[in-house]
Amino acid sequence: MALTQRDWNVLARRSRNIRHVQMGLLVGFLTIVSIPVVLPFFWVFVISFSARTGGVESAVLWRACGVLVPAVVAYVVVHLTFDSIRKRLFGAAVLILLVMIGLIVTVGKDLHLHNYRFLANANLIEDLRGAATAGGQFPWVWEAFVNSLLVAASSTLFKVSIATVCGYYLSRFAFYGRSAFLQTLLILEVFHPWMLTIPIFLVIYWIGLLNNLAGPILVLTVIDLPFFIFIMKGFFDAVPWDIEMSAMTDGASRRQAFRHVVLPQVWAGIIAISVLGFIRGWEEYVFVTALRTGNSYWVMSTYLYYVADDVMGVDYGVVAAVSVFYMAPSLLLYMFLQRNLTQLTLGGIKG
Amino acid sequence: MMHKQRQRQAVNALIFLGPACIFLLVLLVAPIIVDLVVAFTDMAQTVRVSEFSNEQFRKIIRPNEDTWLGFELRGSFYRALAKTAIFVVFTLTIFNVTFGLLLALTTTALPDWLGGTFRAIWLLPRMSPSVVYALLWIWVIDPTERGLLNQVLINVFGFGPINLFIDHPMAIIVVANGFIGASIGMLILTSAIRSIPQHLFFAARADGAGPLSIVRHIILPTLRWPLSYITVFQSLALMVSFEYIFLIMGPARSTMTMAMLAYTKTLAPQIGSGQYAYGAAITLILIIIGVIVALLLYRLTNMKRLLAKPRIEVH
Amino acid sequence: MASIELRHVSKHWGPTIAVDRMNLTLEDGEFVAILGPSGCGKSTTLFLLAGIYAPTEGDICFEGARINDVEPRDRNVGIVFQSYALYPNMTVLKNLLFPLRFKNTSNEDAHARAMEIAELVQIEDLLEREPSQLSGGQQQRVALARALIKKPNLLLLDEPLSNLDATLRLTMRSEIKRIQRELAVTTILVTHDQVEATTMADRIICMKDGQIEQVDTAENLYRRPDRIFVASFVGSPPINLVQGRIDKTMLVAGQRRLPVSGNTVSTNVTIGLRPELISTGEQGLPASIVNIEPMGREILYAAQSEIGLLRFLEATPQPRLALEEHVHLKADPGDVLFFDTGSGQRIEGVRLDAFS
Ligand SMILES: Nc1ncnc2c1ncn2[C@@H]1O[C@H](COP(=O)(O)OP(=O)(O)O)[C@@H](O)[C@H]1O
Ligand SMILES: [Mg+2]
Repeated sequence: MALTQRDWNVLARRSRNIRHVQMGLLVGFLTIVSIPVVLPFFWVFVISFSARTGGVESAVLWRACGVLVPAVVAYVVVHLTFDSIRKRLFGAAVLILLVMIGLIVTVGKDLHLHNYRFLANANLIEDLRGAATAGGQFPWVWEAFVNSLLVAASSTLFKVSIATVCGYYLSRFAFYGRSAFLQTLLILEVFHPWMLTIPIFLVIYWIGLLNNLAGPILVLTVIDLPFFIFIMKGFFDAVPWDIEMSAMTDGASRRQAFRHVVLPQVWAGIIAISVLGFIRGWEEYVFVTALRTGNSYWVMSTYLYYVADDVMGVDYGVVAAVSVFYMAPSLLLYMFLQRNLTQLTLGGIKG
Repeated sequence: MMHKQRQRQAVNALIFLGPACIFLLVLLVAPIIVDLVVAFTDMAQTVRVSEFSNEQFRKIIRPNEDTWLGFELRGSFYRALAKTAIFVVFTLTIFNVTFGLLLALTTTALPDWLGGTFRAIWLLPRMSPSVVYALLWIWVIDPTERGLLNQVLINVFGFGPINLFIDHPMAIIVVANGFIGASIGMLILTSAIRSIPQHLFFAARADGAGPLSIVRHIILPTLRWPLSYITVFQSLALMVSFEYIFLIMGPARSTMTMAMLAYTKTLAPQIGSGQYAYGAAITLILIIIGVIVALLLYRLTNMKRLLAKPRIEVH
Repeated sequence: MASIELRHVSKHWGPTIAVDRMNLTLEDGEFVAILGPSGCGKSTTLFLLAGIYAPTEGDICFEGARINDVEPRDRNVGIVFQSYALYPNMTVLKNLLFPLRFKNTSNEDAHARAMEIAELVQIEDLLEREPSQLSGGQQQRVALARALIKKPNLLLLDEPLSNLDATLRLTMRSEIKRIQRELAVTTILVTHDQVEATTMADRIICMKDGQIEQVDTAENLYRRPDRIFVASFVGSPPINLVQGRIDKTMLVAGQRRLPVSGNTVSTNVTIGLRPELISTGEQGLPASIVNIEPMGREILYAAQSEIGLLRFLEATPQPRLALEEHVHLKADPGDVLFFDTGSGQRIEGVRLDAFS
């Protein structure tokens, strides 16, 4: 099968064309399906910085899109044409500058921070409505913020430390009843607390923790706990036995070996489940409302829910600003630690 | 000596497993048992039990000699069951499985930076707080011309406005849950595709396989396990989830699934009427389905690997 | 296929340069080996030829035509991976038939071809097995059969023997050589094992850090290495290397001065002398034995001389010399190789006049 030079050239051209078409189809498909996902987020963002009392500034949204969409397309072209990192960064810098200028020209005069005044004004909602709301107990946003932080951070702390020690023990120790324990855990994984909202409410009520932040914290600790234990067991399973054995040969006890030798090997896993746990705790709504009667405590989710309920239709801008303020910690955490999250697999249960 | 070692082993077990056991027992196992009991009582708003009865189940089914089983489902529960089935089946097949698979296949076929960007975008709904996500949906499908969807329909496609709340309420909850379900499917399947040895792809390409043949002969056969995991596990997760439905639709009858029914009859803020025993009875049905799912999952799991013995015997 | 050519080909992975401006020409039916330490870019070179990687710069040419953009499927290249990469969900037969799916081969032809190739690599009995039920050697044969079934113009073997045990490696070495000769297919074997390269290939490409150090026959790599790296990488036990400097007509090494003739601009030199070319005698370089390593049928001695530590081999079953024994080392001065220490390049115009 002797191919001539012409044949090879034809093949090369065909391959190039096919590759371009495939790439175009893939990127096109993903772009089209991703637009409905991104656009709403971008929209609240725009509203929060541009809406004035009473109205929704959709013109701002479309004008901003008119600047951003060409910029994103331009960056993809830049990225695909240039191989060197320096040129790509340069291209990105130029584009960001152009976008800045474009945004200032098109929407600059519509942007303002007025909607974020709830951060400074403790009685904002009452002011807006001109009347007392939610039984006159509507708090300052920072109170809800601190409570949310407390709920998310402490439930994460509990959950991660329990999952870590438990995962380690299951991965490394032989003990009576180990396989029974693992199998029970596998079954418990199925029972999401959502399913058990009512009996969990009753248990918390009988313990006497209703209307107390400890309630949601404890329940949040259990949410996904079996799953986290399996993830950590998977991470510990991946730590080579030799490390631990040699530490013990060097005279460390099992617990010392765990603290000084094994634990540093699984930081990636701990960070990953901490991020997931925090984001989960930060967003909690169901148990926060189920485990209180009346408004005994406020967290960000209930705060936003009641702001939206109260002033929706009156002031979209404030609702959007509270939403942006509320989701910022989750999304920032997610963006910075995204790399860690992608390392998660299904832990030890994978077949 | 022997005694001391025993003691040490017991102390270790207590330190390492104790906290997990307490939490799981008190907040997961105990509630299951509590539910089992409460479902057969008359517990209501006062949270007191005065008698044991099967009254709650009589609210769910009524005897009817003409039917094959000897009983039939009562209207509200029958409706909830049907809505649950529609919700779960559509969300699962369209989004968690099909869309998750499409996203995983397409993003892994792209260069890492680009595929990763698209995956990050699709994870946005899952990473943002549920109340915010629900609020976004309410704004997007706002039936007036202010709604984002209506803006697009009117300005780009030239028709509308439409009112999804009235016309297609099930579609709303299917798509809203579906975006999140698709991202979960995408994550699991992406990590499964990533764990296929690179050399298999290289070999297939050198053997002449194009992208579709590679998907069919190399990728899909290895996705059998993750796909069954998603199907089994996510169908249950969807069945018991009500958070987004409640936050977007409120207690609307048109989207009252079983989990929503139990929630709105008991604990939903402002509208929950505290019929705990009735809620517990519905929960009991969900628990039974959960047990079936657990058994399926049990069969899917590689027990040998899960239970592989540790190698150091010192405690 | 008449010829395969790499012209100035590089492959970068971010900051890592896996292949660095490589030039290479292969003749039809040739069996060449790429030899080099692991991580030097051997596999990358193969994958570039197969079309799995695209070169960062330079051209890959088949018969003079630039084929950088041609898909692997159109290059008609067979490849055996280090891990064998058998499709785990297919039986051996399905694995063999897989490449023919994309070639418009009729069903009967494909099966006939599979039987033929199975016979060639002697796996007729395994056709219905799953890859997980095969031993390493059997998997290796299946991988080879799968690479050969489409009658490739170029066969690429990426460390095919490295996962086999020692005896199996010997058998497979001659098997592969036999099959290659029978089919007369142009073949590139990648290996980090010099014995594999020297016993199997017509020519050897010696690589280091993405660059070609020398392309030559095994004999020449051994006798006339172009560079210090080649001298030290080829040959076992490794060549003795001693640093020194040239001072007019003398080589100064350690505390000793040896007479040299010829001209060179280099002053800092490294001399190389193979252990198997040194013997002991009545006269020569005085040294004392500092280490004795029995190596089966031979003994490897290390002796401290005034120019430095030198290893030499003696073919006796039992050590004849004792530790700290004083000996005189003899060698043909013509066997001593000179290298420029700075550039690593061999110096042609200089020879030692006497080794004593
Ligand atoms: N896909 C890849 N991505 C990044 N770096 C790679 C990749 N493949 C190889 N390399 C790097 O290129 C160099 C050469 O690798 P390789 O060709 O596999 O070496 P060899 O086969 O000679 O052992 C190594 O430093 C390796 O880390
Ligand atoms: Mg290699």
